[in-house]
Amino acid sequence: MVTNLIYFYFLFFATICCALGVIFAPVMYLSALALFLFICFSGFIYLYLNSVYLFVFQFILCGVFLSSYIFLLIKKIGKINQQLRLAPVSKIIVSSVFLALFGLLFVLYFTQEIDNSLYSFFNTVAEKSFVSVNFKHYLYPLSLVGVFVLVSASVLRVFLDTSQNVQQPKESGESKL
Amino acid sequence: MINMFVNIGLAHFLVLSLILYLTGLFGVLISRNMLRTVMSLFIMSVSAVINFAAFGYYCDKSMENANMISVFILILTVIQTIIALVILYKIYQANENLDAEKIKDKES
Repeated sequence: MVTNLIYFYFLFFATICCALGVIFAPVMYLSALALFLFICFSGFIYLYLNSVYLFVFQFILCGVFLSSYIFLLIKKIGKINQQLRLAPVSKIIVSSVFLALFGLLFVLYFTQEIDNSLYSFFNTVAEKSFVSVNFKHYLYPLSLVGVFVLVSASVLRVFLDTSQNVQQPKESGESKL
Repeated sequence: MINMFVNIGLAHFLVLSLILYLTGLFGVLISRNMLRTVMSLFIMSVSAVINFAAFGYYCDKSMENANMISVFILILTVIQTIIALVILYKIYQANENLDAEKIKDKES
């Protein structure tokens, strides 16, 4: 019981700290590292909720592929040690006030509605839904989705490369004129 | 009062999800670097996935429906992040910079 509690609160604060680390990290590579840790800790939260598939999906898709893609991108553009700056102080203050109001509204809604409509709504959906999806049957289509993602990303890359190559001669022609 | 912190339930995960969502939104609003904006958007999406997983665990007995929706959201999140990164790379090639305000000043 106590171990469970400590485990939950450790994950709770570790996830929030990593999310804050992504935003307030002074250097680019620290921000990317914080994102990788955030992915790992949020994956452990899924494990805590008995969602093993989600943990595996998140770890493979985001932890392995997305994080390495971000690291490679940062390295390719040579900004791995770039100092990161925040917006002006006035903008930060206005954003904080906006977020505080948003959070307050959410908490008010949550405390009033969670016991009445929202929670019972989800409970009703869960009780009335006789059709439960067998997750294993959907692994094949989901892997197809993954393949489509890679194909669409490479097509987009080729498309953007081609459009830039078309733009460059135009610009050079204009400068000659 | 102590029971509220000891008995972990749906509310705890909803609070975690809310804090992560607000953190991501804060990052989107205050960061000047566009790469960090994309990372903040990713944090917001993960908070939505945690929300769904928590509702699935506490309300749906079979867990399969919640897992399906969560994996779907996760895949969409990765797609949007990768496409955003590709576009950012192209922006960097054009402007030699990823600072949103500097790019805006350059264009104006």
